[in-house]
Amino acid sequence: MKHLVLGILAVMSGAFCACSSRQEVNKSAIRIRWERDPENLDPLVLPNENALEAANLLYSSLLSVDPSKQQFTPCLAEALPTVEQTDSLTLLTYRIRPEAVWDNGQPVLAQDVAFTLKVMNCPGLPTESNQAQWGFIRDIRLDSTDSRRFTLVCSGRSPEYAWSSGDYIILPEYPLDPKGQLRPFSLTALRADTAADQHHAAIGAFVRRYKQAQLDHHPERLPGCGPYTLEAWETNRFISFKRKPKWWADQLRSELLPLQAHPAKLNYQIIPDAATAVLALRRGDLEVYPGMPAKEFQRLRQDKDNGATLQFYTADSYKMITACFNIRRPALQDKMTRQALSHLFNVPALIQATQQGLAFPSVGLIRPNSGPGYNDSLPLPTYDPNTALALLQKAGWQRQTDGGWLRRAATGAPERLRLTISYRTTDPAFETIALQLRSAAAQLGIPVQPQPLESSLFREKLRAGTVDMYLFTITGNPFVYNFAPILHTKSIGTGNHTGFGTAASDQLIEAIAAEKQEARQVQLLRRFQRLLHDEKPLTVLFFLRSRVAASAQLTNLQVTGLRPGYMATAIQAKPAAQ
Amino acid sequence: MRRFLLARLARAVPAAWGIISIIFLLSRSLSATQTVSEELQSSIAGHTATPKQIRTTERLIRRRLGLDLPLFYVTPAAQSTSGALAWRWQWQGFQNQYHRWLLGVLRGDLGYSFRDGRPVTTQLRLALGATLPLTAAAFLVTSVLARWLTLFLANHRGLRTALLSALHVLHALPLFVIALLLLLLLANPDALSWFPAYGLADFGDNTSWSIQVLQYLHHLALPLFSLVLVSLPSLVVQLDYALARELQADYVVTARAKGLPQRLVVRHHALRNALLPAITYLTDLLPALVAGAVVVELIFALPGMGRLLAEAAAARDFPILLGAVLLIAGTRLGAQILADWLYYQADPRIRLEV
Repeated sequence: MKHLVLGILAVMSGAFCACSSRQEVNKSAIRIRWERDPENLDPLVLPNENALEAANLLYSSLLSVDPSKQQFTPCLAEALPTVEQTDSLTLLTYRIRPEAVWDNGQPVLAQDVAFTLKVMNCPGLPTESNQAQWGFIRDIRLDSTDSRRFTLVCSGRSPEYAWSSGDYIILPEYPLDPKGQLRPFSLTALRADTAADQHHAAIGAFVRRYKQAQLDHHPERLPGCGPYTLEAWETNRFISFKRKPKWWADQLRSELLPLQAHPAKLNYQIIPDAATAVLALRRGDLEVYPGMPAKEFQRLRQDKDNGATLQFYTADSYKMITACFNIRRPALQDKMTRQALSHLFNVPALIQATQQGLAFPSVGLIRPNSGPGYNDSLPLPTYDPNTALALLQKAGWQRQTDGGWLRRAATGAPERLRLTISYRTTDPAFETIALQLRSAAAQLGIPVQPQPLESSLFREKLRAGTVDMYLFTITGNPFVYNFAPILHTKSIGTGNHTGFGTAASDQLIEAIAAEKQEARQVQLLRRFQRLLHDEKPLTVLFFLRSRVAASAQLTNLQVTGLRPGYMATAIQAKPAAQ
Repeated sequence: MRRFLLARLARAVPAAWGIISIIFLLSRSLSATQTVSEELQSSIAGHTATPKQIRTTERLIRRRLGLDLPLFYVTPAAQSTSGALAWRWQWQGFQNQYHRWLLGVLRGDLGYSFRDGRPVTTQLRLALGATLPLTAAAFLVTSVLARWLTLFLANHRGLRTALLSALHVLHALPLFVIALLLLLLLANPDALSWFPAYGLADFGDNTSWSIQVLQYLHHLALPLFSLVLVSLPSLVVQLDYALARELQADYVVTARAKGLPQRLVVRHHALRNALLPAITYLTDLLPALVAGAVVVELIFALPGMGRLLAEAAAARDFPILLGAVLLIAGTRLGAQILADWLYYQADPRIRLEV
């Protein structure tokens, strides 16, 4: 027994020493919490937000978002593209900066952009999502007089092409296709032949080479022109990046944030559990904790002991929680029933209960501080059971002696007002919202059954249209307003789970997405918000605030409402005097 | 003995095949639409594909993953007979998902992960490499501690009630409560900050192996304590009960009458027989060694089989899910055979029946 105790003591004392040496190892790195592993760092796959953030450290795009300006800014490109429109095409001309070089010193050329687009459309590679997202780029024309200039030929017209045409990672041709085997094949030909890898030996060989490189877990095999290189990656534990001693953008001394990279090392720690991550932050094992749960965030912020060691940032995000109605359900087909049910959400109480006050209401899908596009003439959602009662009666519902509601359907058959509200089990906020609605509806005699569902089952039910009401998170951004994926009739069965849509609403959605003049777009947006307010296919409960907690020794986190909510490459250590 | 093993294997292999086939068919009958990025569908941020492109993308992804093939050799299909729809079984031939998967398994190829494209065998090997040191250490510590505590209880009858009550209270606590309590007590700057809050040790280039071992143990301490504390009470209670029963047997009375000291009677006579029921309990723990401990792995941010399984289930990563279940089912059946064999070794009076 004595030996056992002595052994334990020896292990513990040694371990304490070991622990202190660990702090030394990580001293220069900024450690950031991630909830999940990036899983795949193939620049053409990138299955989640973390993978995207990591890829942006290793590689560069033609354009990047500058969070301080909340707009796309040139990165590899010298400037935003010049736009020329023909009858059915949009031509976007870019020129790559002369300073932009790959790790071997070779310049980034238009040929690399052409190569990237071809790889995106190369049959046999897992790039189906890229093909859908950048499917509007039909061809690329290289300038014979300038190896850095090229023109993208895009089908149709859309203001968003100006930035989305440059928002993908550019791959180097020299390590992946040193003999230029893809050059003879045009982008159009690759898109047309979905079995080109079997029809052409050169394409088949390239596909095999690309797969053999295993870029998904070995990004170090593909030199990028981003500011960092991969230092180490242990799946589900950590991933760390080291700043290149010489990065091409250093010589620009640009004020644009995407062209700056300050931390010498970035170390992302994968910690799935929020309580553990909070403890790690407080112990000093982490420097940055983005997306901290609201409850923990407020608790730590209000604790004065943390004032000296931690600082807390919030920013209005573009992420909103909505309550949606499946208008294909007989009980929800008329707008007055939907309006009535919308009055049963107690939004201020929900903001307090689920987000500890770190959220804000809106009249619709536009963020309130987005300028004149926000229709401030509309009322914010109000909790008003009396109005709900009146609207139900107006919709033809009659209160029964048992307290429930009944009306005759168009066929003459009796129809009871009895609903389910479905939501994902992943976020406890959804459950709170569903329970609040059930309680408010029960007071009016409307049975509402909360239906928590596992994520994929939830999505399956949405697509099958077998839910009544559902809670959903929708994400926007400040660059463009495109409501087609969630509210256009063509999206019914893919992203429009409400089933809402009329010829007028479709026309309005298309007009907003196509409108280039800001004043005109503002008018259309305001009209669209009014339409949604009246028709109520969904009701926006609140917009969330981004929450970031960080060590007090850091500054310049550039906390914004855009994902991931901060900019790792901008972070700097505070001067000692502060 | 060989005959016994062959007979048990002949029964175990079809059982494992049956279990895994049912899981295959049940899991694959669920939709795998999650494989398509949600970003394509729930954003109003522009820069999105058209509905037609999304449908095409889904079709292409399903084809790449082999999910466009029929599920099994026969599948139900709707047929129109005299104006009404009727369900009929339809033969789909050998080009089906189950046949492909089964051929792969027979060749030792468990396929590739839907999420990151890596071979399932590689993923399982990596996860097992992270899990086994923790679960095996917990298994060993639990076994040794249980033996020691049982003897302690036998020799200190006055403490028996208090200690057993404490063990029952501990047994009532779920694993996540124990893990969080340990974390908040022993890795908290507001209480005791003796242990790291999460993860495994990071080694510098010049760290000596002895420091590496100590760092590793230091990081594993809390997860290990959690697993030991959750499995120790039931084992001790079971052993204590068995030992108490043995101590009343005639052969113990005889041993005492011969003048053997109580310590030797317990250690050399009663305890050996009392260990028999524990064999079942301990072999039942073997599949858990492989399956990992998802709660502990999540709370202490450790990589391992538990997390791999949980994440694969959430993301509907069928190849990983099936590979892991196959491994666990195999271990379970192996553990049952091992339990029979250990019984035979412990008590030769027990006959191994085929």
